[in-house]
Amino acid sequence: MPSKIGVVGDKDSVLAFKMIGFSVFFASEAKETRRIIDNLADKNYGVIYLTEQLAEMIPETIKRYDAKMKPAIILIPNHAGSRGIGKKRVQENVEKAVGQNIL
Amino acid sequence: MSKGTIVSVSGPLVTASGMESANIQDICRVGRLGLIGEIIEMRDDVASIQVYEETSMVGPGEDVETTGEALSVELAPGMISQMFDGIQRPLDEFMEMTNSNFLERGMTIAPLNRDKKWEFTAEVEAGTEVSAGDIVGTVQETNVIEHRIMVPFGMKGKIKSISNGTFTIEEPLYVLETENGDKELTMMQKWPVRRGRPIKTKLNPEEPLITGQRVIDTLFPVAKGGAAAVPGPFGAGKTVVQHQIAKWADVDLVVYVGCGERGNEMTDVINEFPELIDPNTGESIMARTILIANTSNMPVAAREASIYTGITIAEYFRDMGYSVAIMADSTSRWAEALREMSGRLEEMPGDEGYPAYLGSRLAEYYERAGKVVTLGSTERLGSITAIGAVSPPGGDTSEPVTQNTLRVAKVFWGLDSSLAQRRHFPSINWLNSYSLYSNDMNKYVGKKLDVDWDGMVTHAKALLQDESELQEIVRLVGVESLSEKDRLKLVVARMLREDYLQQNAFDDVDTYTSRNKQYEMMQTILYFEEQSIRAMDLGSYYDEIIEGTEDIRERIGRMKYISEEELVKIQEIRTKTKSDIQTVLEKGGVESDA
Repeated sequence: MPSKIGVVGDKDSVLAFKMIGFSVFFASEAKETRRIIDNLADKNYGVIYLTEQLAEMIPETIKRYDAKMKPAIILIPNHAGSRGIGKKRVQENVEKAVGQNIL
Repeated sequence: MSKGTIVSVSGPLVTASGMESANIQDICRVGRLGLIGEIIEMRDDVASIQVYEETSMVGPGEDVETTGEALSVELAPGMISQMFDGIQRPLDEFMEMTNSNFLERGMTIAPLNRDKKWEFTAEVEAGTEVSAGDIVGTVQETNVIEHRIMVPFGMKGKIKSISNGTFTIEEPLYVLETENGDKELTMMQKWPVRRGRPIKTKLNPEEPLITGQRVIDTLFPVAKGGAAAVPGPFGAGKTVVQHQIAKWADVDLVVYVGCGERGNEMTDVINEFPELIDPNTGESIMARTILIANTSNMPVAAREASIYTGITIAEYFRDMGYSVAIMADSTSRWAEALREMSGRLEEMPGDEGYPAYLGSRLAEYYERAGKVVTLGSTERLGSITAIGAVSPPGGDTSEPVTQNTLRVAKVFWGLDSSLAQRRHFPSINWLNSYSLYSNDMNKYVGKKLDVDWDGMVTHAKALLQDESELQEIVRLVGVESLSEKDRLKLVVARMLREDYLQQNAFDDVDTYTSRNKQYEMMQTILYFEEQSIRAMDLGSYYDEIIEGTEDIRERIGRMKYISEEELVKIQEIRTKTKSDIQTVLEKGGVESDA
């Protein structure tokens, strides 16, 4: 079953994703972000790109979807630069999957 | 009467020859000591007699004398609050007469006090036509039980004279003009224990027996006039369940038959019951209890009789129009007594050595329970609820006594040793117990309380059922694999188990829960579930709900200790639940449906 891809972040950072055909949602504070993510998770979104800045505000929500197959929440840097947590998460997940850090 | 001679003695079984004039089921006096026995088999002139007393020092050659009467009980005022042995000998008088703590042999004791005077109030006038079962007058036996004197079975006629006054149970009370001449009748009637007392019609039981035990009243109710079986392994709490029902059931009279169990359990009854107050009458519980004791060290044959003695007394009070409950603890010991006698009679054994007629004997006993219209010209309703404990060896309910009991009893309260080990009492297993009265009883309660009680109970049962399935998944792959809804379900099911089904028989408040309180408690737990699910639908997380309701869940856990007068407090918990959940929603920023 095909799933959709969503992008959540501040307007400046994520607007460009609209060009490729992703659904883009704007958010700037925690409650709003949480609502959007929960909403997307309910609606057959397979991958959600989320800016690191917003992710830091809602660790509980992120953790909640860690245990689930869908949606995969991928953290991306925003226009202000990377915080490093997105890359760290990828590394952690790889380590969990193959047993050691191969990156 | 003619005398026979003992041929052989084998434990409680004595065979005697020269008994051609005796009949089966006659009571005999056996040997020099004059032990009481009953003929259970006749072949030509050889009678097999089961002796209700210890038979040591009895040998061949001694005499046996038949009395020509069947084993009967005396039915008259003076029975209530008494403790009898299996053949209706009052145990405290026995002790006084023999000056011994144990049963001396060959004693003859009148079952009921012959000297005590009872205040009799006539209810009919001279000249009235009466028939069997009609009430001629009453005696206030205890503060709660009015003993109604009935015309004995088989009697019919016109009352010639009757008057108020004080009488002993043997003094003539009234004169009845019958077809066969005038008959002087007393308060006392005799009835053979092995025959059920006649009734007009049997009715379908429709009213639940309120026991005050939540798991029983809510999940597995028994009807007034129904029969229930309580099987369980050792230490699972059969006796406590029986005691609790004997204490709190909303019946007029309780007959408690301690049949082959420990003597201390009867001591507990004697010590505890007089101090307890019946919530329905405000009087001591002993004022409505009759005890029949045949503990494990008392003669085996009398154990066989004790059950019948008990139910005959119960039937007598039922005929007065009372609702009676009879507890038998335990019917397995009774069946073992049957087995012992059957073995000595060299009958062909059935399953596990029990006699082939075990099933029909058990059925005979349980079938004497029921809701009936009694004899007599006025319409009276009476009921007997029979509750029998069964002790299956090893807790394995596939053995013959349990199986045969289940065939006739419509309610099964299966006690579970694993629950008992977890200190979950009463350890009635909610997954394998059942009550075939459930539907009718729940509808009755629902109508009484004007709520959808049936729906609530069904929902609670479904939750508990789901829980056991989810537990299996959790055991395999861990609790993380469950969806949040399912995890919430586990929380609610746990509440049902720990805060509702568990009940402490030794706590002053928790020992009895009225129907109203049961409804309030159940409603509170289900309300919690409803509110939590609503919050979850609105977007709250499981962890948030659990964290935000910690305090309220603890209060729900303690609501069983809220006394009957303060039920408002339980309603307050519901209000608090709502506001706490609202706080959770606001905190998560999902307060609106948008």
